[in-house]
Amino acid sequence: MYPRPLKFILLVAIPLLIGLAGKAGGLTSQQCLSVSIFLASILGTLFFWDFRLSFVFLGTSLLLITKTIDLENLIKFASLEIILFLVGMMVLIGVLKESGFFAWIVSLLLRIKNLSGRRFLIIISIASALLACAIDEVTSIIFMVAAMLEICDYFETNPVPFIISSVLATNIGSAGTVLGNPIGILIAVKSGLTFEDFIIKAFPLAMLCLTALIFFLLKWYEKPLKKMDQKIKELGANEILVRLISVPPDRELKKGLIIFGLTLVFISLHHRLEILLNLEPNTILLIVPLIAAGAVMIWRWQRARGYIEKDVEWWTLLFFMLLFAQAGALKYTGTTDILAKSILNFSGGKAALLIPLLLVVSAIGSSVLDNVVLVAAFIPVVQSFKDLGFVLQPLWWALLFGGCLGGNITLVGSTANIVALGILEKETNIRMTFFRWFWVGLFSSIITVTLVGLALTFLPFYK
Amino acid sequence: MKVKEIMQKVVISLSPKLSAKEGLVILLRRRISGLPVVDKNGRLKGMFTEKDFLRYLLPSYLDKVGEFRYEENPKYIKQKISQLAKVKLSDIMRKEVVTVEEDFTLSEVARIMLIQKARRIPVVSREGVVVGMVAREDIVRALLHEGNS
Repeated sequence: MYPRPLKFILLVAIPLLIGLAGKAGGLTSQQCLSVSIFLASILGTLFFWDFRLSFVFLGTSLLLITKTIDLENLIKFASLEIILFLVGMMVLIGVLKESGFFAWIVSLLLRIKNLSGRRFLIIISIASALLACAIDEVTSIIFMVAAMLEICDYFETNPVPFIISSVLATNIGSAGTVLGNPIGILIAVKSGLTFEDFIIKAFPLAMLCLTALIFFLLKWYEKPLKKMDQKIKELGANEILVRLISVPPDRELKKGLIIFGLTLVFISLHHRLEILLNLEPNTILLIVPLIAAGAVMIWRWQRARGYIEKDVEWWTLLFFMLLFAQAGALKYTGTTDILAKSILNFSGGKAALLIPLLLVVSAIGSSVLDNVVLVAAFIPVVQSFKDLGFVLQPLWWALLFGGCLGGNITLVGSTANIVALGILEKETNIRMTFFRWFWVGLFSSIITVTLVGLALTFLPFYK
Repeated sequence: MKVKEIMQKVVISLSPKLSAKEGLVILLRRRISGLPVVDKNGRLKGMFTEKDFLRYLLPSYLDKVGEFRYEENPKYIKQKISQLAKVKLSDIMRKEVVTVEEDFTLSEVARIMLIQKARRIPVVSREGVVVGMVAREDIVRALLHEGNS
């Protein structure tokens, strides 16, 4: 990566030059400011990840001081509804963790019968994708990695192929539902797409990508899988692993599962309930996690403060909130309308070209940037296409899948990658090199992005 | 009363060049839960405690996975113990150490112990050289004595 002084220079120079170029190109001063400040926040996040919150705090203040956006609109664009949804979900995840749910999943994985290399890879890929769909990618990858390290350690096998496979599957699975990735709920709220829409349209596509990924990985990792088979033959069945851990007490686990299960049921029925109760779109979707979290905090009132203080990642949520506000400033100043027209001109005004263009750009972008940053920037642009007479739904799916699948290209492409590789390094002293990840990540992304691109462009189902 | 009046002035310390096994043997022989790690000039580099050894043995993701109980000893425990002689003390010691200076008052040391949840704290000079150790027991005893006199 670049040395620190160069990063500073780029951080100042790029937004400044783009702002000046915009001014010369006919943008208003406020449009230039909104672009420059947003760009500075993105670059600041990219170059100085640990300081990302400082950058959005300063940038947002600058937007207000320069009157680029007013306070009322800033708060509106900060999308408090999404933040509250994530707070509710984080509390529920905290309760699930406390009730032993994650350890229970680990224990189930340790009990896989008739283990073989291929069987192990298939099961962990499917489990990673489905768990990412149901919980969220960052939480699910932690206990998937924990289970894989235990199993690989027992069979004296290199865990790297399995960790990479699990992360690739996790990122794919995270596109399957509203819950898998913060960009899922962000797109759902901004587009009006429902949980059902995700289940009917995004989930099958994610499963198609997962199937393709598994076939690809079985071929790519043929040698390590054979090695694992040999080790299993040498060491016998996983008898110690089967009884390695237990999850006491069962009653707590059942209660945690019931609460989470009910939350999922109500989330999946939100659209029908909103129609029934004559509520605005996505009202029930956004309040179900809050109701569940509220109920949990009454049930376990002694620990309620702990759920809010320890399980909710305020650092990340504040970053999201101010980032959404900065992206909103682009919309507010009309910059995204101009950008949408430019993109349209580039694609020759053809929707058929616009879908793959958005998919590829968001995939490449999210391979180096946090996908929430990227999607927050693109949402107002996509919204602007509506005024130009486009059907938006395939564009939303392109943005969702581009944002999730692109995370597979590089080892810093998504938070799940970083978390998994951090644990791997700490536990095994194996430091992943850029290219060891890159080739398998790139090829799997090319396969999955191509599949999604073809489906979104040619299947009438997605129009 | 200042901490320099009650601290243990004879301090056994460990060299960062020792192996984790050698460090652990010293802890067990001395029947002490932790010792400061200092360089050849006596400057504090870290603390090595029994807790650091346990942290080395068990996975770092334990608290993230949530509630569970080990019913068997994982295979890696044996492996990690067998590798202990090859692991440098400096690799598993705690590098961020709470310290106090010689002229700190007892109340200040007590405050630091409470807030930082520390049982034994190295006392260092301004140059960072370890000049003593103070334990919670020393503070309690001295405060009690001072209160009664």
